[in-house]
Amino acid sequence: MTSDMKKVQPTVITKPAGFAILQVVLVPVIAALNYVTGVVINLLKLPLFMDTWATMFGTVVAGLWVGMAGGFLYNIVMAFTFWGLPAWVWGFINVYIAVITWVFWRIGWITIKKPVKLILAGIIIGATNVIPTTLINVFIFGALPTYAGTSWIYAIILNQTSSVISATVGSSIAAEIPDKLLSLILAAVVASRMPERYSLRPAK
Amino acid sequence: MSSAALKILRSGYVRGNSPIHKLDGRTKFLFFLWISVFNYVFYDLYISLVSLAVLLALAGISKVGKIVLSVIMIVAVPILILGIIILGSPIGFPHNKTPLIATMIFGHEIGLFLEGTVYVSIWSTRLAVTITAALLAYLTTHPSDLAAIMLKSRLPYKFAYAFLATVQLIPILTNEISTIYQAQVSRGLNVQANLIERLKSIVVLMIPLTLGAINQTQTRAIALESRGFSAPVKKVMLSDPKFKLGDYVMFCAMIAFTVYFIFLISTRGLVPFMQGVQYLVPGG
Repeated sequence: MTSDMKKVQPTVITKPAGFAILQVVLVPVIAALNYVTGVVINLLKLPLFMDTWATMFGTVVAGLWVGMAGGFLYNIVMAFTFWGLPAWVWGFINVYIAVITWVFWRIGWITIKKPVKLILAGIIIGATNVIPTTLINVFIFGALPTYAGTSWIYAIILNQTSSVISATVGSSIAAEIPDKLLSLILAAVVASRMPERYSLRPAK
Repeated sequence: MSSAALKILRSGYVRGNSPIHKLDGRTKFLFFLWISVFNYVFYDLYISLVSLAVLLALAGISKVGKIVLSVIMIVAVPILILGIIILGSPIGFPHNKTPLIATMIFGHEIGLFLEGTVYVSIWSTRLAVTITAALLAYLTTHPSDLAAIMLKSRLPYKFAYAFLATVQLIPILTNEISTIYQAQVSRGLNVQANLIERLKSIVVLMIPLTLGAINQTQTRAIALESRGFSAPVKKVMLSDPKFKLGDYVMFCAMIAFTVYFIFLISTRGLVPFMQGVQYLVPGG
């Protein structure tokens, strides 16, 4: 009997029960939140996109795969319903954003307790995001001015340089840095307000 | 843009008995991919315009023409107008040479140039083609068929769930955000305030929405598990999509046009009907 007793070990929960299914269920929530932010931006009449903040938020609260999948899925759904096929490539921007957000989260920069690092991370994400954004704009959308908010910057740079690529880079810088910075701040603020019981990260 | 997209996601499937409705979903999505790819391969405005006209006619037959046109007006037309204003002007596109409408005002040339206008028109028409093809496939395919098609196409079960759940969740969360918005407005949220104040307003709208959505994920997870979502068994479908005669006719048409397009590319290049216009080089 004593040996039987020894075999029975207390249950150690390394992952909450049903954690994988929670992650699967969270992926469409992330994708839908990315979309709904567009509705909020419309309501508040703000000159931003902010449709990557939920990707950042998902990465922070539930891990890299949830952020990547949610962000990519958002673009897939929009491409197959509203934006047309080429728009699916924007999904790679969301994947990139999830990865870079995860890197900054791992080194402890994505917290409202360290505002300077948070702002710096937002600027870096926005600035580095200009490269893939420009590539997609040039090869998929013909380097056209696709966003009215920055089209005046596009026109000025085009006038000065006679280069549609320079104009696209310039207007991307003007749009991406404030957009990604504010998206990251929003993700960090919402994540900080999330009660512990909603945490979707497995217990360490 | 958001409201139009929301309308589409809300309405989803448009009932009908047209030949397009009768096609298998896989055929429609293959057609969507096929026509989108060919419009991006060719750099020819005439090919894009013909494709768009064919797709709009099919949309009309399928009774989704109004929705398709409204989306084109919201997405592609503004890009066309903005692009023509900037790139069609004398200071815009670097290759502008041939004036369409040009006049001198106070010593400055103003007007529209052929090169920039055609360049913008090609890209905008390509965009309109892909949007129309996507909507035609999406609006004429029942959601349950969509799930069955994804599984039949050997996409992971979890991906099919995630795709359909996203489409369903967007209208739900949009309704919730409008409730939260109204509640916050009644508590003094000023949407006419300055830019900084409006930026701060995002937080008070997104926190309740996000927490509510995450709370619901627990319920959804339980509901899915109660139906054996992650059970290690083969999943069955409500309907079993099968190809019919119409699908095979469509495949034959696509194959025939592919052969013709390959012939065009090999004999006349990627700009078959607009040859001689030097600036029309793929990639701008």
